[in-house]
Amino acid sequence: MATAGKVIKCKAAVAWEPNKPLVIEEIEVAPPEANEIRIKVVATGVCHTDLYHMFEGMHKDGFPVVLGHEGAGIVESTGPGVTEFQVGDTVIPLFISQCRECRFCKSPKTNQCEKGWVADSYDVMSAAESRFTCKGKKLLQFMGTSTFSEYTVVNQIAVAKIDPAAPLDKVCLLGCGVCTGFGAAVNTAKVEPGSTCAVFGLGAVGLAAVMGCHNAGAKKIIAIDINPDKFEKAKVFGATDFVNPKDHNKPISEVLAEMTNGGVDFSLECVGSVAVMRSALESCIKGWGVSVIVGWTDMYDFAAKPIQLIAGRTWKGSVFGGFKSKDGVPEMVKAYLNKKVKLDEFVTHNMTLAQVNDAIELMKHGKCIRTVLSVSQQ
Amino acid sequence: MATVGKVIKCKAAVAWEPNKPLVIEEIEVAPPEANEVRIKIVATAVCHTDLYRLFEDTGAAGFPTVLGHEAAGIVESIGPGVTEIKPGDKVIPLFIRQCRECRFCKSPKTNQCVAAWASTGNAAMAPPKSSFTCKGKRLNQFTGTSTFAEYTVVNELAVAKIDPDAPLDKVCLIGCGICTGYGAAVNTAKVEPGSTCAVFGLGAVGLAAVMGCHAAGAKRIIAVDINPDKFEKAKVFGATDFVNPKDHNKPISEVLSEMTDGGVDFSLECAGSVAVMRSALESCIQGWGVSVIVGWTNLEDVSARPIQMISGRTWKGSVFGGFKGRDDVPSMVKAYMDKKLKLDEFITHNLPLEQINDAIEMMKNGKCIRTVLNISTE
Repeated sequence: MATAGKVIKCKAAVAWEPNKPLVIEEIEVAPPEANEIRIKVVATGVCHTDLYHMFEGMHKDGFPVVLGHEGAGIVESTGPGVTEFQVGDTVIPLFISQCRECRFCKSPKTNQCEKGWVADSYDVMSAAESRFTCKGKKLLQFMGTSTFSEYTVVNQIAVAKIDPAAPLDKVCLLGCGVCTGFGAAVNTAKVEPGSTCAVFGLGAVGLAAVMGCHNAGAKKIIAIDINPDKFEKAKVFGATDFVNPKDHNKPISEVLAEMTNGGVDFSLECVGSVAVMRSALESCIKGWGVSVIVGWTDMYDFAAKPIQLIAGRTWKGSVFGGFKSKDGVPEMVKAYLNKKVKLDEFVTHNMTLAQVNDAIELMKHGKCIRTVLSVSQQ
Repeated sequence: MATVGKVIKCKAAVAWEPNKPLVIEEIEVAPPEANEVRIKIVATAVCHTDLYRLFEDTGAAGFPTVLGHEAAGIVESIGPGVTEIKPGDKVIPLFIRQCRECRFCKSPKTNQCVAAWASTGNAAMAPPKSSFTCKGKRLNQFTGTSTFAEYTVVNELAVAKIDPDAPLDKVCLIGCGICTGYGAAVNTAKVEPGSTCAVFGLGAVGLAAVMGCHAAGAKRIIAVDINPDKFEKAKVFGATDFVNPKDHNKPISEVLSEMTDGGVDFSLECAGSVAVMRSALESCIQGWGVSVIVGWTNLEDVSARPIQMISGRTWKGSVFGGFKGRDDVPSMVKAYMDKKLKLDEFITHNLPLEQINDAIEMMKNGKCIRTVLNISTE
């Protein structure tokens, strides 16, 4: 490719400071160094964690930054030492790495590779090093991916090679939300056939969790949200019951316990609210109930009475649905192509990168599930 | 037996009000009704949960009561409908029932029988029915056992029949502390061979947890206590490392993390303190660490940051070490008889029932592990 080995000047949506609209700028993207891959981003979803960083976490050391972590694209060039990938490969950048060498990668119990940014800087949500500059300043690469940019550079341990037949404007969603929710149900909670589940929060992650519970054979999937407009889509993904906590005078955990003769077998918190995390745990049945924290927040403690755990409930959590990223994403792409996993139904809006602030506004007001931004031509 | 069918007048240590010494009184113990068993208590030990009830969670209801829940005795008489137990049997009363019929008993995942008061967070820590009176007043039967008495009446679903050769002044400990700690390691945490464990709190429950970690094949067992006098006995049970948080300027979770290249595989909280529960969780390694809440308290919330769970730790808890009482207590007695389980090493003092307040004082001041009260001869 003509751009190989050279700095690329391209468009990106830059977050110069917290709590402000993103600005479409021309940025410079350096060529990939050893073990790195430069990717032309074709499509990206907007995920609530992008908004969390901008509007809630707002860590002062986390700006300026190029957000976006749910994308798909094509390899433009590779750095020295890259053997797994070639120019033209279709890929999904991964915000969690899989080096395959560390003890976490070698363990079947976890996907928490220690090589990525997460281990060092989960509060700032990016690594210190970056290949992006703009107007003479270094821009952080959000979660190592920065998919709100026409080009990005990612270490090969954080890139998944996927089926070239996959439509990138759909499978980009596997870069975060869908794997996060689906995996939380299937890998982390380990939902069992015939069980009863409750999913709190029906954004993309929650809907993917509903889908995961359904695929795992749950008999009853209770979808919970304070916005009843969300129920219709939850039904599409397999939810059987729908509860709006605002319709009840008693705590949601009591409502659910009554509906289920004592509580659910599995609950998943897909909002990122510590109050909901507590409710989700308390909604589980004693003895064997399992509650999984899926939604991201790092601003407050979550809490419960010790009796909840002493009475036999288990509290878990995961990131990226517990999928080992490089192995899991291509499998999920394949599952989509084989019609075992839904993706199209998550996409409520299509826009261009230039309209990213509109997409953000839609999400802020709960008016979308996933807006896919078209970033470049394939 | 001459007492069959009649009220028995006998000695008991009565807790008339919270925060006061127990009083040795003559009480009346009614004959067993349908499905009940009246037991002559031969030996009982003082467990910290008895003190918790007397001094910490004194609650609105619950007094006057007869405490004690860790004992062994001989069946004096049985009520109508009791078929599995007969007079003369050696038994251990159980503070958690096993009906064998409810969905919890039928599940291999839990020991939390539906009839167990424990999982309801019952403030009085007692079932509604009592067979005890004193000076015209009804006395609550603490956890349905009330073993600080020469005789008690217990539902047959809460009685474990044990080997007649077992020395009751030793195996009484299996009625609570030993099963609670040992089972937390073996059944709840499911400690794996070659793993690294940390046990917080080296009372009887903590020492039993150390013993359980050792029996499960842990390679390294770090015993943590703010009282260094406790370390010597922890070594007897298999601890390999000893840490006093007061010797360090940094949080205990950081100390343990440094000792273990990132954190322990399994941690067990055996102190009943929500702050220690948090530390125990944070001392676990990301990815696969499991922390178990063993110590009892229900006065405050336990809390942590969501990132702890999202980065792969699991929080669990159990009561009575997850053992199903009627099935497993006899097996634990057998394990002791076969020298696979230590009990004698827990006993630091022997006293008569009349000196129970001395036993309580010793425990309050951390001057004992287990004091066995010899109540009757066999």
